[in-house]
Amino acid sequence: MKIFLMALTICTFTMVFTSSVLATETQAIEENLPISNKVVEVSVNGLVCDFCARALEKVFGKEEAVNSIDVNLDTKVILITFNENKSLTNERITKLVVDSGYNVENIHRVE
Amino acid sequence: MRYIFFALLGMGLIIPTANARPVSYPGGWTTMLMNDGDKNTAHVHFSPSVKYSIGYKFEYWRDREFTLHAIQVNSLVKRWNKKHSQANFYLKAGIGMAETKLDTIDSSSEAAGFIGIATDWEDRRYFVSYQNRYTKAGKLADFYQQSARVGWAPYVGDYGDLHTWLMLQVDHMPEAENNLTITPLVRLFKGVHMLEAGMNNRGEILFNYILRY
Repeated sequence: MKIFLMALTICTFTMVFTSSVLATETQAIEENLPISNKVVEVSVNGLVCDFCARALEKVFGKEEAVNSIDVNLDTKVILITFNENKSLTNERITKLVVDSGYNVENIHRVE
Repeated sequence: MRYIFFALLGMGLIIPTANARPVSYPGGWTTMLMNDGDKNTAHVHFSPSVKYSIGYKFEYWRDREFTLHAIQVNSLVKRWNKKHSQANFYLKAGIGMAETKLDTIDSSSEAAGFIGIATDWEDRRYFVSYQNRYTKAGKLADFYQQSARVGWAPYVGDYGDLHTWLMLQVDHMPEAENNLTITPLVRLFKGVHMLEAGMNNRGEILFNYILRY
């Protein structure tokens, strides 16, 4: 029984850490040149609670280009405001949303 | 049958279906203090990515008279993000040491491990979850437990508001004398704080606090 339990635990840990290594490798995406638009509206799927909103705030808050982010749980839209002469590509925005645990439905750039 | 189920689970062959957030955002820490009629637990974990978390778990089982110290890994196997809802399927496993009460003459310690799944679905108004766990600690513990919850939010608040949920939790422990426990509870949720309080059908208090930072 002990051996059986140990095998199960090793199996589980191996699976978890393998998936984390793969995830790290896929994060190596180069950011393209910034696209000029000061505000971007992003429709996001999976936003159901304050923890979700906070996750997006934390992840986008680490980006140098981002001035502020406003999450609307009713409309499921996040409004990203960039710093002067800074922006993020759609690919980068999508990656950050996915890294936060959610999915992008569409991205709309506001003039 | 139970062993076959967990063997399949360990190998990742169970078809995912969905939980209660044992994984945070990348770089996020979570502290969970859970107390009910059977046990007092503390769980602190760190999430390097949205896919998994790793942390320390402490449990004190009062009637079974043992404590458990374990390293726990939680893995988000699958998440379903929909426009107005979210569902998750998690795998949870831990390995560590269990010991009987330190103040008894027969105190002893054993290697311990546990494994289980957690799944949930929620939108901003309704919540459903299920989780189970098999725990083995030599002669000290060998038991299976499962629990399910349904919840309803009487109002839908905005981000940053105080959110209130009315929930019903059903716990089942086949080996226990009173193997079915029903606990109505209230969940209050504001900012990074979540608090749950309830009383089960035997008059025992449930009190949980979760801090995410």
